[in-house]
Amino acid sequence: MRLEKCWFCSSTIYPGHGIQFVRNDAKIFRFCRSKCHKNFKMKRNPRKVKWTKAYRRLHGKDMTQDSTFEFERKRNRPERYDRNLAETTLKAIKKITKVRVEREAKHHALRMKGKKAKDHKEAVKELEQSIHLVKAPAVFQQDPTLTLPKMQVKVSQKQSEENNAMEE
Amino acid sequence: MVQYNFKKITVVPNGKDLIDIILSRTQRQTPTVVHKGYAISRLRQFYMRKVKYTQQNFHEKLSAIIDEFPRLDDIHPFYGDLLHVLYNKDHYKLALGQVNTARNLISKIAKDYVKLLKYGDSLYRCKSLKVAALGRMCTVIKRISPSLAYLEQIRQHMARLPSIDPNTRTILICGYPNVGKSSFINKITRADVDVQPYAFTTKSLFVGHTDYKYLRYQVIDTPGILDRPFEDRNIIEMCSITALAHLRAAILFFLDISGSCGYSIAQQAALFHSIKSLFMNKPLIVVCNKTDLQPLEGISEEDMKLVMEMKAEAMKTVMGQGGEPANEEAVLVTMSTLTEDGVIAVKNAACERLLDQRVEIKMKSKKINDCLNRFHVAMPKPRDQKERPPCIPQAVLEARAKEAAEKERRKTEKDLENENGGAGVYSASLKKHYILANDEWKEDIMPEILDGHNVADFIDPDILLRLEELEREEGLRQAEEEDDDFEMDGEELNAEEKEALAEIRKKKSLLIQQHRIKKSTAESRSIVPRKFDKNNEFTSERMGRQLAALGLDPSLAINRARSRSLSRKGRKRERSSDNHGDAMDVDMDTPSKKLRARSRSLSLSRSRSRSRPPSEVTPGDGFKDSAQKVKAIKIAKKSVKKRNKDARKGEADRVIPSLKPKHLFSGKRSIGKTQRR
Repeated sequence: MRLEKCWFCSSTIYPGHGIQFVRNDAKIFRFCRSKCHKNFKMKRNPRKVKWTKAYRRLHGKDMTQDSTFEFERKRNRPERYDRNLAETTLKAIKKITKVRVEREAKHHALRMKGKKAKDHKEAVKELEQSIHLVKAPAVFQQDPTLTLPKMQVKVSQKQSEENNAMEE
Repeated sequence: MVQYNFKKITVVPNGKDLIDIILSRTQRQTPTVVHKGYAISRLRQFYMRKVKYTQQNFHEKLSAIIDEFPRLDDIHPFYGDLLHVLYNKDHYKLALGQVNTARNLISKIAKDYVKLLKYGDSLYRCKSLKVAALGRMCTVIKRISPSLAYLEQIRQHMARLPSIDPNTRTILICGYPNVGKSSFINKITRADVDVQPYAFTTKSLFVGHTDYKYLRYQVIDTPGILDRPFEDRNIIEMCSITALAHLRAAILFFLDISGSCGYSIAQQAALFHSIKSLFMNKPLIVVCNKTDLQPLEGISEEDMKLVMEMKAEAMKTVMGQGGEPANEEAVLVTMSTLTEDGVIAVKNAACERLLDQRVEIKMKSKKINDCLNRFHVAMPKPRDQKERPPCIPQAVLEARAKEAAEKERRKTEKDLENENGGAGVYSASLKKHYILANDEWKEDIMPEILDGHNVADFIDPDILLRLEELEREEGLRQAEEEDDDFEMDGEELNAEEKEALAEIRKKKSLLIQQHRIKKSTAESRSIVPRKFDKNNEFTSERMGRQLAALGLDPSLAINRARSRSLSRKGRKRERSSDNHGDAMDVDMDTPSKKLRARSRSLSLSRSRSRSRPPSEVTPGDGFKDSAQKVKAIKIAKKSVKKRNKDARKGEADRVIPSLKPKHLFSGKRSIGKTQRR
């Protein structure tokens, strides 16, 4: 029994799921669910479909090259069974996955590194430019901080009162 | 030899049919058109041709009959006698003779009439001559039609005769009726002869084939023979007598020692002695059948004596062939076809005897030398007396011996399976013969999948090394990470600024939403210019709220807006004389009734929103006047009213576009009557 990879989205296909398509040139396409199958039939290129692993790898969203990927390779020649080897392999798999997950997180963090600064810059700019939507220019002249106006005057026939809300 | 071609005789047609065939053929195959204006030679030729053609055809057909039917003198005497027995030689010959005569007669007729036709002088005369000729030929045929019918019957019967080869190895079975001859032949061959409790079940000869020592023997089953004088025998018995007489075969004389056939042993012995002349020069075996009912030892003294007499006779036939030492078992055998006890022995004995006899005869004949030439095995002349056995190496002998011993002793998987409960219960351990470094590991179950990975993809003898490398790398990397781990904890907006930003974004999204709504419904709804504020949206309160949200003081603006509103100012300045002071003082004195009423209504309208009557036209509606609006409303209501169909035909009911289409109501029919449309 083997876990296969979906040709379209590269997720694992567990036994009992999905469809296999064998083309006339004997190439086998495995799909994890009908979504991938239908996309394939529509002749979509997985490298252009945003949610697939192929796209993400191609566009650098996910980690591409790493030594942890070298451990998992399809071997065609079976090894003679060795209990010790099997034990160590099982333990090793866990460690390797841990390492790989960490590295992927690192990759993601690296990718997202400049986001905070950028966001901040944008926010500041937006504030500056659009403060007039929430604060009248007259008020702004008197109180040039980029905040909401302090005084909220109630509309009434009588004299306006001092606002007593929202004072920090 | 013609014996096997009885099936290939062509069908003999009926007299009438024959005439019809020939005459119609004449009509089809010869020219048919003739006029009396033709030249006389042509007319003569025309009719002569017809006469000759008819004669030729008759000749062909009758010759075919005569040639294909076998001449009884030319075929093997067995068949000759058989046919004589069945059909009577004389009748047969007579019938054929008649056919021959007819043929000659027809030839003569044709010759005569052709001669006459040579001198025919008119169409009519020629024609009548031809008619006469043909008529006479047909009469001839009509006269022989009984013979033709008889020949046809004979042909049918002959085709069904068993195909017996008189020259090959044959075993003949004879005896009283009901002794078990047909059962025997059913047992040793694939023949399927009827076996029934009544006598004379078998009414004709049956042939079966059996094998012995790679040779084919034909076994012939005969109808039972009764003990009667020769002249009284009927046709069925004569068949078997004929077979006995003419076929050179081994004879199995069947004896029913239990007497259940209805005839005693004495009667059967009597029969034996009466036909023993037919057993001359043929290997004879006396077969005692039905030993399951009565074993041979159990019969009475007299019967035993009779049986021994028969045996003695049989022995004579043995002794008569070259003085072989008599093996007594091969002359008198017992068997039972019911229990199949001894059947094969009988067959083997008979075949053996026959074979010996035939070989002897062959040896004595002149052709033996030719045969002997072909049976020569060359033996090298021995040079000296030294023995030279085949040479087998010692190792091979030992190996062979060991293998034999092992084969006996070795326990197979199949035995193991049977011990442990059979095929469904025991499942063989396929891992038993695994070659592993440690035998304890043989029954281990290794997991194939772990956490979404195939374990088999990871298996590698160097995995430990590589894992260590990886961990080292990881350690290094983590160390590096900690070095430049400082986060750019740069500026951040404080809470108020964040609040302001959130407000800004909210407002922006609201604007976008409104714009989108306006954009999408612009086509379906008239864009009302702002000055016709139908829904009273744009109030001063709203303005005040918005201004306050921006941080401004709205009171001034509100006051100004109020002062400039229509309700205060009025729509038009009345050019009336009573121009009492400020139009601002509305509550105090209203100059005219009109103004008052208007102002009141307007003030009322200002202070609360009320529902208008449907026919009232508000400025933004797009109607000219209330009449138009009312009409529009009516039409709209009508269009959504549900149709009252009252069980009348609806859209779903068939519509006949035209009630009297022309193609159905006019025109003739290609087949049939036009009584109704």
